[in-house]
Amino acid sequence: MVSVKPSAHLTRLNSKDDYIAFREHAHRKWDALWNGDATLVSVGVGSSSIAKGALEVLEQAHQVAGDAIVREVSGNGAFWMEPWIEIKRPGVDPVVYGPLTVDDVAGVIAGTRDDLAVGVRGENPVGDIRPLTEIDFFKHQVPLLTRNAGVIEPDSIEDAIARGAYDGYFKVLFEISQEQAIAEVTTANVRGRGGGGFPAGIKWESGRKARNNPKFIVCNSHEGEPNVYKDRHLHECDPHRILEGIMIACIACGAERGYNYIGGEYPLGIRRFRKAVANAERLGLIGKNVLGTGKNVAIRVRTGGGAYVCGEASALMYSIMGVRGQPRTKPPRSVEEGLWKRPTVANNTETLANMPDIIVRGGEWYASLGTENSKGTKLMTMQGPSKLSGVVEVEMGVTMRHLLNDIYGGMREGYTFKGIQTGGASAGPITEDAFDLAIDFDSLGPLNGMLGSGGWVLFDEDVCAVDMARYLTAFSRYESCSKCVPCRLGNPALVEILDRIRFGRGSLEDLALIRRTSSHIIELSLCGLGQVAPVPLVAFLDTYEEEFRQHIVDGVCKCGVCPISAPSRETMLEEVAAD
Amino acid sequence: MVQPDHTHAPRPVPSPYTGRQEIDLDQVREMLSHFTYSDHEEAQELILSALQEINEHFGWVSHEAAEIVADHLGTSATRVFAILTFYADFRTTPRGHHHMLLCHGMSCYVMGSSKLVQKVRDEYGIGDGDTTPDGQLSVQVANFCLGVCDRSPVVKLDDEYYGHVNADDLTDLVNRAIEGREAMHASEVNHG
Ligand SMILES: Cc1cc2nc3c(=O)[nH]c(=O)nc-3n(C[C@H](O)[C@H](O)[C@H](O)COP(=O)(O)O)c2cc1C
Ligand code: SF4
Ligand code: FES
Repeated sequence: MVSVKPSAHLTRLNSKDDYIAFREHAHRKWDALWNGDATLVSVGVGSSSIAKGALEVLEQAHQVAGDAIVREVSGNGAFWMEPWIEIKRPGVDPVVYGPLTVDDVAGVIAGTRDDLAVGVRGENPVGDIRPLTEIDFFKHQVPLLTRNAGVIEPDSIEDAIARGAYDGYFKVLFEISQEQAIAEVTTANVRGRGGGGFPAGIKWESGRKARNNPKFIVCNSHEGEPNVYKDRHLHECDPHRILEGIMIACIACGAERGYNYIGGEYPLGIRRFRKAVANAERLGLIGKNVLGTGKNVAIRVRTGGGAYVCGEASALMYSIMGVRGQPRTKPPRSVEEGLWKRPTVANNTETLANMPDIIVRGGEWYASLGTENSKGTKLMTMQGPSKLSGVVEVEMGVTMRHLLNDIYGGMREGYTFKGIQTGGASAGPITEDAFDLAIDFDSLGPLNGMLGSGGWVLFDEDVCAVDMARYLTAFSRYESCSKCVPCRLGNPALVEILDRIRFGRGSLEDLALIRRTSSHIIELSLCGLGQVAPVPLVAFLDTYEEEFRQHIVDGVCKCGVCPISAPSRETMLEEVAAD
Repeated sequence: MVQPDHTHAPRPVPSPYTGRQEIDLDQVREMLSHFTYSDHEEAQELILSALQEINEHFGWVSHEAAEIVADHLGTSATRVFAILTFYADFRTTPRGHHHMLLCHGMSCYVMGSSKLVQKVRDEYGIGDGDTTPDGQLSVQVANFCLGVCDRSPVVKLDDEYYGHVNADDLTDLVNRAIEGREAMHASEVNHG
């Protein structure tokens, strides 16, 4: 197995006191680093910046840095400024420069390229350069889960500890009981970030009460949706936070082993997470008799193989067990009979990443953030032709108007707004009348929309509603595991009807047929995939019915996307004749 | 002055794709020797990971390789094949000399990736999972997001990402890749 080795200088800690001493050492080291007389050159390396040449920038930084210390940090979510470099000079706050190329690196390090400066990471301006927090993209964010993004070196457990990692784990190990830990989670009222919004406290309590042993925790980092990359981002920028969340869950629920099931699509995130596990193991935070407490915590990393349905919790467990990932009927629920038929608590990555702060700062503090029914912050991504792009963390209750216009800078030049697809392939689009709603787990429901995992897809007037509905339905058709009939046969039937319409052979009865077929699939399918597969299509039909009718009645696709609008053989011949 | 605790050797710039195809079974055995387990449950948990490593390294998993995996982890070849044919990442036929990952996630869809899928079909006669008859090009249409949405539509050809790709660029990229590795080297690549 591709083994990731722990950092060589770490040694095992055997007691509470050992750990406290190590934590102090990490803090001292961090303070010395940032308050010392060395220049720090931090390069933001994440999968999005690597695609734009960040590794070459990093290499160049090593070449020309001289006495400066070069650090490999993660991306900070702001895709539009990648690749970037942060320079911390003695006595002033760090300044971030980007987007830049390999050729700019030497100048930036030498201090001659202030034209490339984006902002200061800190409160005080440096010369004419203003703080990042005055830039709209950052100003409106509330970085809790992402506060280490671009700050720590993800591969360094000491960096993470100096910034507060494993404090929550320490607390559940030494200071509070399992019941108290779960009470904090319940008070926090943190709801599952995997899309469903189920209260984590209730799930954990059932997990703790389950009598069958051993028990397991599963972190669902599959993220196979085509519309979101927030869990990948979290793995790349702060793997320790996720790991700590899993470890806290293990202690709170009395589970001896935690799993992280990661989609195979993000190798960098997997590597950084494995490194975090290796280092935590080396320090003795994971393993047998953790810090002399007599408690055992094991962590296993498992990776997926590119099947969306494996994000469904029961399918995910089958996938871990080395068979096809096909969902099963419930009951029994996973907390009674999950992985290897043992009680298993499954949570989304982001849900678990919230736990360290909830344990350290308390459930009440957490519950003060967000809306009545949805607490805390939410990671969100925006795809499509928005001016800016990337991962942001905002408080629950943000409005779409604020998110799109203030944070993501509105539509890109030359594009006209048509809608925003919500919930990936599980819900429908919203239009401007939903723009002033406070977004949380429940508010978009009446409008066919859904918060889901927080991935929004902006689309413009050039995108045909029929074609996009087909794209979404075809996604579910392709990803269906084929176990049950309504989903296996129903989704291809829907795609066929849509193709009829796209090719100009549809009839108005097809619209009724879509609705009828859809309700069969929704009502009769076994798992969440089939139960929502037709939802986007029906919602597109509700929202853009006029466009469907134009295809059928007038025989035109006004966006010029569908085959219907390709010039027919006759018109082509006429054109040739006219030449 | 404080020294970083883990001085980084500069990471190598990704090398041009070498188009590995033959599966060296001894190498597979060597890879598998790192997959150790303490009980049958753990052995089963390793099947997917083992296949992934082989698939990643060689670009595909052959019958023979699958059988070796089954032997090593104490399971049947049928079970291994059930996995190979279920998960989209696995290929049971060799990749082309050049491999294209065409992002068809939602951002890329909105920004026109369907045209690219169509272009590959028109120009090379292949679709998702296919290889051209001369073995030069294989394509995978990604149903997930490559995570570079600000450059949509995005194509990953061999080891390089290309952003804002239009249908004409696409054939240029492929032709340059096929004509010679030199032209493909990272320094010349316009990142979009
Ligand atoms: C088809 C399908 C795909 C899913 N994909 C994911 C996923 O990628 N990540 C995730 O956390 N949950 C996913 N879920 C939801 C999980 O089944 C489960 O509800 C969730 O992981 C529980 O964690 P939470 O309570 O923290 O949200 C999916 C559900 C279905 C039906
Ligand atoms: S609804 Fe679809 S994905 Fe779910 S079990 Fe049935 S066939 Fe499989
Ligand atoms: S959807 Fe293609 S890169 Fe995100």
